[in-house]
Amino acid sequence: MPSNRIPRVGIGGPVGSGKTMLIEQIVPILSTKGYKVGIISNDVVSKEDAERMRRNLATERGLMPEDLVIGVATGGCPHTAVREDPSINLSVVEELESKHNYLDLILIESGGDNITTTFSPALADYFIYIIDVTGGDKYPRKRGLGIESCDLLVINKIDIAPYVGADLKIMERDAKIVRKSKPTVFVNSKTSQGIDSVISYIINDVLFAAAPKNLVKR
Amino acid sequence: MIFMDTEIIDGDISLLQMSDSFFPTGLYATSNGLEALSQVKKLKSNDISQFITIYLQQVVGPCDCTALGNAYESCKKRDLASLIKTDESAYYIRLIEEPRSASVRSGNQLLKCVSTFSKHKKMIKYYQNAIGIGKATGVYPVSFGVATCSLDIPKNKAGLILLYGFTVSVIGAALRLGILQHIDGQKIIHELRPAILKSVLRNIDRPISSIWQFAPGLDILQMKHEAMSSKMFIT
Repeated sequence: MPSNRIPRVGIGGPVGSGKTMLIEQIVPILSTKGYKVGIISNDVVSKEDAERMRRNLATERGLMPEDLVIGVATGGCPHTAVREDPSINLSVVEELESKHNYLDLILIESGGDNITTTFSPALADYFIYIIDVTGGDKYPRKRGLGIESCDLLVINKIDIAPYVGADLKIMERDAKIVRKSKPTVFVNSKTSQGIDSVISYIINDVLFAAAPKNLVKR
Repeated sequence: MIFMDTEIIDGDISLLQMSDSFFPTGLYATSNGLEALSQVKKLKSNDISQFITIYLQQVVGPCDCTALGNAYESCKKRDLASLIKTDESAYYIRLIEEPRSASVRSGNQLLKCVSTFSKHKKMIKYYQNAIGIGKATGVYPVSFGVATCSLDIPKNKAGLILLYGFTVSVIGAALRLGILQHIDGQKIIHELRPAILKSVLRNIDRPISSIWQFAPGLDILQMKHEAMSSKMFIT
Protein backbone atom coordinates (compact mmCIF):
# COMPACT_ATOMS: atom_id res chain seq x y z
CA MET A 1 0.00 0.00 0.00
CA PRO A 2 1.51 3.42 -0.93
CA SER A 3 2.48 5.43 2.16
CA ASN A 4 0.04 8.24 1.41
CA ARG A 5 -2.89 5.86 0.95
CA ILE A 6 -5.63 6.51 3.47
CA PRO A 7 -7.81 3.50 4.45
CA ARG A 8 -11.29 3.67 2.91
CA VAL A 9 -14.58 2.24 4.05
CA GLY A 10 -17.45 1.96 1.55
CA ILE A 11 -20.95 2.16 2.97
CA GLY A 12 -23.78 0.97 0.72
CA GLY A 13 -27.41 0.06 1.11
CA PRO A 14 -30.94 0.72 -0.10
CA VAL A 15 -32.53 4.19 -0.07
CA GLY A 16 -33.61 5.09 3.48
CA SER A 17 -31.72 2.27 5.18
CA GLY A 18 -29.67 4.74 7.25
CA LYS A 19 -26.32 5.12 5.48
CA THR A 20 -26.07 8.84 6.21
CA MET A 21 -27.27 8.43 9.77
CA LEU A 22 -24.74 5.65 10.36
CA ILE A 23 -21.95 7.99 9.23
CA GLU A 24 -23.34 10.73 11.49
CA GLN A 25 -23.04 8.28 14.39
CA ILE A 26 -19.63 6.91 13.48
CA VAL A 27 -17.75 10.16 12.87
CA PRO A 28 -18.27 11.81 16.29
CA ILE A 29 -17.12 8.66 18.11
CA LEU A 30 -14.04 8.27 15.91
CA SER A 31 -13.40 11.97 16.37
CA THR A 32 -13.54 11.62 20.16
CA LYS A 33 -10.92 8.90 19.89
CA GLY A 34 -8.72 11.27 17.89
CA TYR A 35 -9.27 9.88 14.37
CA LYS A 36 -9.61 12.37 11.50
CA VAL A 37 -12.18 11.36 8.91
CA GLY A 38 -13.08 12.57 5.41
CA ILE A 39 -16.44 11.79 3.79
CA ILE A 40 -17.40 11.29 0.15
CA SER A 41 -21.14 11.09 -0.38
CA ASN A 42 -22.52 9.73 -3.66
CA ASP A 43 -26.03 11.03 -4.12
CA VAL A 44 -28.42 9.74 -6.76
CA VAL A 45 -30.49 12.84 -7.41
CA SER A 46 -29.50 15.52 -4.94
CA LYS A 47 -26.75 16.89 -2.72
CA GLU A 48 -28.98 16.52 0.31
CA ASP A 49 -26.97 13.84 2.14
CA ALA A 50 -23.65 15.63 1.66
CA GLU A 51 -25.16 18.94 2.73
CA ARG A 52 -26.77 17.38 5.78
CA MET A 53 -23.53 15.76 6.93
CA ARG A 54 -21.59 18.95 6.25
CA ARG A 55 -24.05 20.90 8.35
CA ASN A 56 -24.35 18.35 11.18
CA LEU A 57 -20.74 17.22 11.45
CA ALA A 58 -18.73 20.21 10.25
CA THR A 59 -20.67 23.47 10.52
CA GLU A 60 -22.60 22.84 13.74
CA ARG A 61 -20.33 20.44 15.65
CA GLY A 62 -16.96 21.42 14.23
CA LEU A 63 -15.82 17.80 14.01
CA MET A 64 -14.18 18.32 10.64
CA PRO A 65 -13.57 21.12 8.15
CA GLU A 66 -16.52 21.65 5.78
CA ASP A 67 -14.43 20.79 2.73
CA LEU A 68 -13.90 17.27 4.06
CA VAL A 69 -17.49 16.35 3.18
CA ILE A 70 -17.60 16.02 -0.59
CA GLY A 71 -20.73 15.30 -2.61
CA VAL A 72 -20.42 13.35 -5.86
CA ALA A 73 -23.17 13.09 -8.48
CA THR A 74 -23.52 9.68 -10.11
CA GLY A 75 -25.51 10.38 -13.26
CA GLY A 76 -28.28 8.15 -11.95
CA CYS A 77 -25.84 5.21 -11.82
CA PRO A 78 -25.02 4.58 -8.15
CA HIS A 79 -23.72 1.06 -8.87
CA THR A 80 -21.44 2.22 -11.62
CA ALA A 81 -19.94 5.02 -9.56
CA VAL A 82 -18.62 2.69 -6.86
CA ARG A 83 -18.06 -0.49 -8.82
CA GLU A 84 -17.83 -0.70 -12.65
CA ASP A 85 -16.35 2.77 -13.14
CA PRO A 86 -15.23 4.31 -9.85
CA SER A 87 -13.03 6.87 -11.68
CA ILE A 88 -14.68 9.96 -10.28
CA ASN A 89 -14.71 8.63 -6.72
CA LEU A 90 -11.08 7.54 -7.04
CA SER A 91 -10.20 10.97 -8.30
CA VAL A 92 -11.84 12.59 -5.25
CA VAL A 93 -10.10 10.09 -2.94
CA GLU A 94 -6.73 10.95 -4.51
CA GLU A 95 -7.44 14.66 -4.03
CA LEU A 96 -8.20 14.04 -0.35
CA GLU A 97 -5.04 11.97 0.01
CA SER A 98 -2.96 14.66 -1.58
CA LYS A 99 -4.43 17.67 0.23
CA HIS A 100 -5.31 16.10 3.61
CA ASN A 101 -2.78 13.35 4.18
CA TYR A 102 -3.28 13.67 7.95
CA LEU A 103 -6.63 11.88 7.60
CA ASP A 104 -6.91 8.46 9.25
CA LEU A 105 -9.94 7.27 7.30
CA ILE A 106 -12.15 8.07 4.33
CA LEU A 107 -15.80 7.03 4.42
CA ILE A 108 -17.45 6.63 1.01
CA GLU A 109 -21.23 6.54 1.03
CA SER A 110 -22.79 5.04 -2.08
CA GLY A 111 -26.00 6.36 -3.54
CA GLY A 112 -29.09 4.56 -2.25
CA ASP A 113 -29.56 1.41 -4.26
CA ASN A 114 -30.74 -2.18 -4.22
CA ILE A 115 -29.34 -5.37 -2.73
CA THR A 116 -26.80 -5.95 -5.49
CA THR A 117 -24.58 -3.01 -4.54
CA THR A 118 -20.91 -3.77 -3.98
CA PHE A 119 -17.79 -1.60 -3.95
CA SER A 120 -14.82 -2.00 -6.26
CA PRO A 121 -11.87 -3.19 -4.15
CA ALA A 122 -9.88 -0.48 -5.95
CA LEU A 123 -12.11 2.08 -4.26
CA ALA A 124 -12.92 0.66 -0.81
CA ASP A 125 -10.75 -1.49 1.44
CA TYR A 126 -13.72 -2.47 3.59
CA PHE A 127 -17.38 -2.67 2.69
CA ILE A 128 -20.25 -2.07 5.10
CA TYR A 129 -23.70 -2.90 3.80
CA ILE A 130 -26.66 -1.56 5.74
CA ILE A 131 -30.27 -2.67 5.57
CA ASP A 132 -33.17 -2.05 7.93
CA VAL A 133 -35.90 -4.18 9.40
CA THR A 134 -38.75 -2.53 7.50
CA GLY A 135 -38.12 -4.74 4.49
CA GLY A 136 -39.08 -7.70 6.68
CA ASP A 137 -37.03 -10.44 8.34
CA LYS A 138 -36.68 -12.22 4.99
CA TYR A 139 -34.10 -9.65 3.85
CA PRO A 140 -30.87 -11.53 4.77
CA ARG A 141 -32.33 -14.82 3.55
CA LYS A 142 -33.04 -13.33 0.12
CA ARG A 143 -29.31 -12.74 -0.23
CA GLY A 144 -27.99 -10.34 -2.90
CA LEU A 145 -24.38 -9.38 -3.56
CA GLY A 146 -24.36 -6.61 -0.97
CA ILE A 147 -25.57 -8.80 1.88
CA GLU A 148 -23.44 -11.77 0.91
CA SER A 149 -20.15 -10.10 0.11
CA CYS A 150 -19.88 -7.14 2.49
CA ASP A 151 -17.28 -7.25 5.25
CA LEU A 152 -19.81 -6.06 7.81
CA LEU A 153 -23.59 -6.29 7.55
CA VAL A 154 -25.41 -3.68 9.62
CA ILE A 155 -29.12 -4.16 10.32
CA ASN A 156 -30.66 -0.85 11.35
CA LYS A 157 -33.90 0.38 12.97
CA ILE A 158 -34.15 -2.60 15.32
CA ASP A 159 -36.39 -0.53 17.62
CA ILE A 160 -39.27 -0.78 15.18
CA ALA A 161 -38.87 -4.49 14.43
CA PRO A 162 -41.92 -5.48 16.57
CA TYR A 163 -44.11 -2.98 14.71
CA VAL A 164 -43.25 -4.28 11.25
CA GLY A 165 -43.34 -7.95 12.17
CA ALA A 166 -39.61 -8.51 11.75
CA ASP A 167 -38.07 -11.18 13.96
CA LEU A 168 -34.45 -10.21 14.73
CA LYS A 169 -33.57 -13.79 15.69
CA ILE A 170 -34.59 -14.96 12.22
CA MET A 171 -32.52 -12.19 10.65
CA GLU A 172 -29.51 -13.13 12.76
CA ARG A 173 -29.87 -16.82 11.98
CA ASP A 174 -30.22 -16.25 8.23
CA ALA A 175 -27.37 -13.74 8.13
CA LYS A 176 -25.11 -16.39 9.71
CA ILE A 177 -26.16 -18.96 7.11
CA VAL A 178 -25.72 -16.57 4.17
CA ARG A 179 -22.58 -14.83 5.39
CA LYS A 180 -20.91 -17.74 7.16
CA SER A 181 -18.18 -16.33 9.41
CA LYS A 182 -18.55 -12.68 8.39
CA PRO A 183 -20.03 -10.42 11.07
CA THR A 184 -23.47 -8.85 11.36
CA VAL A 185 -24.31 -6.01 13.75
CA PHE A 186 -27.78 -4.89 14.86
CA VAL A 187 -28.13 -1.16 15.46
CA ASN A 188 -30.53 1.63 16.15
CA SER A 189 -28.85 4.65 14.61
CA LYS A 190 -31.30 7.00 16.28
CA THR A 191 -30.06 6.08 19.76
CA SER A 192 -26.52 4.84 18.97
CA GLN A 193 -27.43 1.34 20.12
CA GLY A 194 -24.93 -1.08 18.55
CA ILE A 195 -22.78 1.67 17.02
CA ASP A 196 -19.83 0.83 19.31
CA SER A 197 -19.59 -2.57 17.62
CA VAL A 198 -19.41 -0.93 14.19
CA ILE A 199 -16.66 1.37 15.48
CA SER A 200 -14.81 -1.60 16.90
CA TYR A 201 -14.84 -3.39 13.53
CA ILE A 202 -13.58 -0.26 11.76
CA ILE A 203 -10.75 0.31 14.23
CA ASN A 204 -9.65 -3.32 14.31
CA ASP A 205 -10.30 -4.53 10.76
CA VAL A 206 -9.63 -1.34 8.77
CA LEU A 207 -7.20 0.66 10.88
CA PHE A 208 -5.62 -2.45 12.46
CA ALA A 209 -5.92 -0.79 15.85
CA ALA A 210 -3.41 1.88 14.85
CA ALA A 211 -3.40 5.04 16.92
CA PRO A 212 -4.66 8.22 15.23
CA LYS A 213 -1.94 9.79 13.06
CA ASN A 214 -1.94 13.03 15.02
CA LEU A 215 -1.25 11.15 18.27
CA VAL A 216 1.66 9.16 16.92
CA LYS A 217 5.03 10.58 17.96
CA ARG A 218 7.24 11.15 14.93
CA MET B 1 0.22 -8.18 -35.58
CA ILE B 2 -1.66 -8.80 -38.87
CA PHE B 3 -4.31 -11.47 -39.18
CA MET B 4 -4.47 -13.25 -42.56
CA ASP B 5 -5.15 -10.92 -45.46
CA THR B 6 -7.17 -8.41 -43.50
CA GLU B 7 -5.91 -5.08 -42.23
CA ILE B 8 -6.97 -5.65 -38.66
CA ILE B 9 -4.27 -4.41 -36.31
CA ASP B 10 -3.81 -4.17 -32.55
CA GLY B 11 -4.71 -0.48 -32.64
CA ASP B 12 -8.18 -1.38 -33.94
CA ILE B 13 -8.90 -3.42 -30.85
CA SER B 14 -7.63 -0.56 -28.68
CA LEU B 15 -9.93 1.74 -30.65
CA LEU B 16 -12.90 -0.44 -29.76
CA GLN B 17 -11.76 -0.59 -26.14
CA MET B 18 -11.43 3.21 -25.85
CA SER B 19 -14.78 3.86 -27.52
CA ASP B 20 -16.65 1.43 -25.28
CA SER B 21 -18.90 3.15 -22.77
CA PHE B 22 -17.64 0.51 -20.32
CA PHE B 23 -14.20 2.14 -20.43
CA PRO B 24 -13.77 3.77 -17.00
CA THR B 25 -13.61 7.54 -17.41
CA GLY B 26 -16.66 8.64 -15.43
CA LEU B 27 -18.34 10.19 -18.48
CA TYR B 28 -21.63 8.44 -17.62
CA ALA B 29 -22.03 10.97 -14.79
CA THR B 30 -21.95 14.04 -17.07
CA SER B 31 -24.84 15.53 -19.01
CA ASN B 32 -23.00 18.62 -20.31
CA GLY B 33 -25.82 20.93 -19.27
CA LEU B 34 -28.61 18.74 -20.64
CA GLU B 35 -29.96 18.15 -17.13
CA ALA B 36 -30.19 21.91 -16.54
CA LEU B 37 -31.85 22.40 -19.94
CA SER B 38 -34.39 19.68 -19.21
CA GLN B 39 -35.45 21.62 -16.09
CA VAL B 40 -36.42 24.71 -18.09
CA LYS B 41 -37.72 23.19 -21.30
CA LYS B 42 -39.65 20.07 -22.27
CA LEU B 43 -37.19 18.43 -24.63
CA LYS B 44 -37.93 16.25 -27.62
CA SER B 45 -35.78 13.91 -29.65
CA ASN B 46 -34.95 16.61 -32.19
CA ASP B 47 -33.76 18.95 -29.43
CA ILE B 48 -31.19 16.37 -28.32
CA SER B 49 -29.85 16.08 -31.83
CA GLN B 50 -29.52 19.86 -32.09
CA PHE B 51 -27.97 20.08 -28.63
CA ILE B 52 -25.23 17.61 -29.61
CA THR B 53 -24.71 19.24 -33.01
CA ILE B 54 -24.11 22.64 -31.42
CA TYR B 55 -21.62 21.09 -29.03
CA LEU B 56 -19.82 19.33 -31.89
CA GLN B 57 -19.61 22.50 -33.96
CA GLN B 58 -18.94 25.05 -31.22
CA VAL B 59 -17.24 23.28 -28.32
CA VAL B 60 -16.09 19.69 -28.60
CA GLY B 61 -14.86 20.06 -32.18
CA PRO B 62 -12.89 23.33 -32.14
CA CYS B 63 -11.78 22.90 -28.53
CA ASP B 64 -11.50 19.26 -27.47
CA CYS B 65 -10.73 17.76 -30.86
CA THR B 66 -8.07 20.39 -31.57
CA ALA B 67 -6.54 19.80 -28.15
CA LEU B 68 -6.55 16.07 -28.80
CA GLY B 69 -4.84 16.47 -32.18
CA ASN B 70 -2.10 18.66 -30.72
CA ALA B 71 -1.59 16.41 -27.70
CA TYR B 72 -1.35 13.42 -30.02
CA GLU B 73 1.35 15.08 -32.13
CA SER B 74 3.27 16.19 -29.02
CA CYS B 75 3.15 12.64 -27.72
CA LYS B 76 4.31 11.24 -31.05
CA LYS B 77 7.25 13.68 -31.13
CA ARG B 78 7.90 13.17 -27.41
CA ASP B 79 7.64 16.91 -26.96
CA LEU B 80 6.60 17.46 -23.35
CA ALA B 81 6.86 21.25 -23.56
CA SER B 82 4.28 21.50 -26.35
CA LEU B 83 2.10 18.94 -24.57
CA ILE B 84 2.08 21.14 -21.46
CA LYS B 85 1.20 24.16 -23.61
CA THR B 86 -1.74 22.26 -25.10
CA ASP B 87 -2.82 21.18 -21.62
CA GLU B 88 -2.76 24.78 -20.45
CA SER B 89 -4.84 26.02 -23.41
CA ALA B 90 -7.40 23.22 -23.09
CA TYR B 91 -7.74 23.81 -19.35
CA TYR B 92 -8.12 27.58 -19.28
CA ILE B 93 -10.53 27.71 -22.21
CA ARG B 94 -13.09 25.90 -20.04
CA LEU B 95 -14.99 28.74 -18.44
CA ILE B 96 -17.20 26.86 -16.02
CA GLU B 97 -15.76 25.20 -12.92
CA GLU B 98 -17.94 22.06 -12.89
CA PRO B 99 -17.06 20.78 -16.38
CA ARG B 100 -13.46 21.91 -15.94
CA SER B 101 -12.91 19.88 -12.78
CA ALA B 102 -14.86 16.89 -14.21
CA SER B 103 -12.60 16.99 -17.27
CA VAL B 104 -9.45 17.00 -15.13
CA ARG B 105 -10.70 14.14 -12.98
CA SER B 106 -11.69 12.00 -15.97
CA GLY B 107 -8.43 12.77 -17.78
CA ASN B 108 -6.27 11.75 -14.84
CA GLN B 109 -8.16 8.51 -14.33
CA LEU B 110 -7.89 7.76 -18.04
CA LEU B 111 -4.10 8.15 -17.90
CA LYS B 112 -3.92 6.00 -14.81
CA CYS B 113 -5.91 3.25 -16.50
CA VAL B 114 -4.07 3.27 -19.85
CA SER B 115 -0.66 3.44 -18.17
CA THR B 116 -1.30 -0.01 -16.71
CA PHE B 117 -1.45 -1.74 -20.11
CA SER B 118 0.01 0.50 -22.83
CA LYS B 119 3.28 -0.72 -24.32
CA HIS B 120 4.48 2.86 -24.95
CA LYS B 121 3.95 4.53 -21.62
CA LYS B 122 6.95 6.86 -21.50
CA MET B 123 5.00 9.98 -22.50
CA ILE B 124 2.14 9.03 -20.20
CA LYS B 125 4.63 8.91 -17.33
CA TYR B 126 6.22 12.23 -18.32
CA TYR B 127 2.78 13.83 -18.52
CA GLN B 128 1.72 12.35 -15.18
CA ASN B 129 4.91 13.65 -13.60
CA ALA B 130 4.15 17.12 -14.98
CA ILE B 131 0.67 16.87 -13.46
CA GLY B 132 2.13 15.69 -10.17
CA ILE B 133 4.31 18.79 -9.85
CA GLY B 134 1.54 21.15 -10.95
CA LYS B 135 2.89 21.97 -14.41
CA ALA B 136 -0.10 20.36 -16.15
CA THR B 137 -3.65 19.39 -15.24
CA GLY B 138 -4.46 16.20 -17.20
CA VAL B 139 -7.56 17.75 -18.76
CA TYR B 140 -9.52 15.07 -20.61
CA PRO B 141 -8.96 15.74 -24.34
CA VAL B 142 -5.21 16.13 -23.81
CA SER B 143 -5.02 12.95 -21.75
CA PHE B 144 -7.08 11.28 -24.44
CA GLY B 145 -4.59 12.36 -27.11
CA VAL B 146 -1.67 11.00 -25.09
CA ALA B 147 -3.49 7.75 -24.32
CA THR B 148 -4.59 7.05 -27.90
CA CYS B 149 -1.13 7.87 -29.27
CA SER B 150 0.37 5.49 -26.72
CA LEU B 151 -2.00 2.78 -27.90
CA ASP B 152 -1.13 3.21 -31.60
CA ILE B 153 -4.62 4.37 -32.47
CA PRO B 154 -4.45 6.59 -35.60
CA LYS B 155 -5.03 10.27 -34.82
CA ASN B 156 -8.15 10.76 -36.93
CA LYS B 157 -9.73 7.69 -35.41
CA ALA B 158 -8.83 8.97 -31.94
CA GLY B 159 -10.77 12.13 -32.85
CA LEU B 160 -13.73 10.00 -33.91
CA ILE B 161 -13.68 8.09 -30.62
CA LEU B 162 -13.60 11.33 -28.62
CA LEU B 163 -16.57 12.86 -30.42
CA TYR B 164 -18.45 9.58 -30.62
CA GLY B 165 -17.89 9.10 -26.88
CA PHE B 166 -19.20 12.59 -26.21
CA THR B 167 -22.29 11.91 -28.34
CA VAL B 168 -23.00 8.62 -26.60
CA SER B 169 -22.57 10.19 -23.17
CA VAL B 170 -25.19 12.86 -23.96
CA ILE B 171 -27.55 10.22 -25.37
CA GLY B 172 -27.03 8.16 -22.21
CA ALA B 173 -27.85 11.18 -20.08
CA ALA B 174 -30.99 11.87 -22.16
CA LEU B 175 -32.13 8.27 -21.67
CA ARG B 176 -31.65 8.46 -17.92
CA LEU B 177 -33.41 11.82 -17.77
CA GLY B 178 -36.36 10.21 -19.54
CA ILE B 179 -36.13 12.49 -22.58
CA LEU B 180 -35.44 9.72 -25.10
CA GLN B 181 -36.27 6.09 -25.61
CA HIS B 182 -33.47 3.63 -26.31
CA ILE B 183 -34.15 3.23 -30.04
CA ASP B 184 -34.46 7.00 -30.56
CA GLY B 185 -31.04 7.35 -28.98
CA GLN B 186 -29.44 4.94 -31.45
CA LYS B 187 -31.17 6.67 -34.35
CA ILE B 188 -29.73 10.02 -33.30
CA ILE B 189 -26.21 8.57 -33.00
CA HIS B 190 -26.57 7.12 -36.49
CA GLU B 191 -27.85 10.39 -37.95
CA LEU B 192 -25.04 12.40 -36.34
CA ARG B 193 -22.30 10.46 -38.15
CA PRO B 194 -21.71 13.19 -40.77
CA ALA B 195 -21.55 15.91 -38.10
CA ILE B 196 -19.05 13.89 -36.06
CA LEU B 197 -16.90 13.15 -39.09
CA LYS B 198 -16.97 16.73 -40.33
CA SER B 199 -16.03 18.08 -36.92
CA VAL B 200 -13.05 15.73 -36.63
CA LEU B 201 -11.73 16.50 -40.10
CA ARG B 202 -12.18 20.23 -39.63
CA ASN B 203 -10.46 20.46 -36.24
CA ILE B 204 -7.98 17.72 -35.52
CA ASP B 205 -5.07 19.19 -37.50
CA ARG B 206 -5.47 22.81 -36.43
CA PRO B 207 -2.66 24.35 -34.34
CA ILE B 208 -3.26 24.85 -30.63
CA SER B 209 -3.03 28.61 -31.12
CA SER B 210 -6.34 28.43 -32.99
CA ILE B 211 -8.25 26.56 -30.28
CA TRP B 212 -11.64 28.13 -29.58
CA GLN B 213 -15.11 27.49 -28.27
CA PHE B 214 -18.17 29.68 -28.35
CA ALA B 215 -21.50 28.54 -26.97
CA PRO B 216 -22.64 31.14 -24.41
CA GLY B 217 -26.10 29.58 -24.09
CA LEU B 218 -24.54 26.25 -23.15
CA ASP B 219 -22.14 27.98 -20.74
CA ILE B 220 -25.09 29.59 -18.97
CA LEU B 221 -26.78 26.19 -18.74
CA GLN B 222 -23.64 24.73 -17.16
CA MET B 223 -23.58 27.62 -14.67
CA LYS B 224 -27.23 26.97 -13.83
CA HIS B 225 -26.39 23.32 -13.32
CA GLU B 226 -23.74 24.24 -10.77
CA ALA B 227 -26.40 25.98 -8.71
CA MET B 228 -29.07 23.28 -8.94
CA SER B 229 -29.89 21.81 -5.53
CA SER B 230 -31.20 18.54 -6.94
CA LYS B 231 -29.31 16.83 -9.73
CA MET B 232 -28.25 13.45 -11.01
CA PHE B 233 -25.24 14.53 -13.05
CA ILE B 234 -21.86 16.13 -12.30
CA THR B 235 -22.28 18.65 -15.13
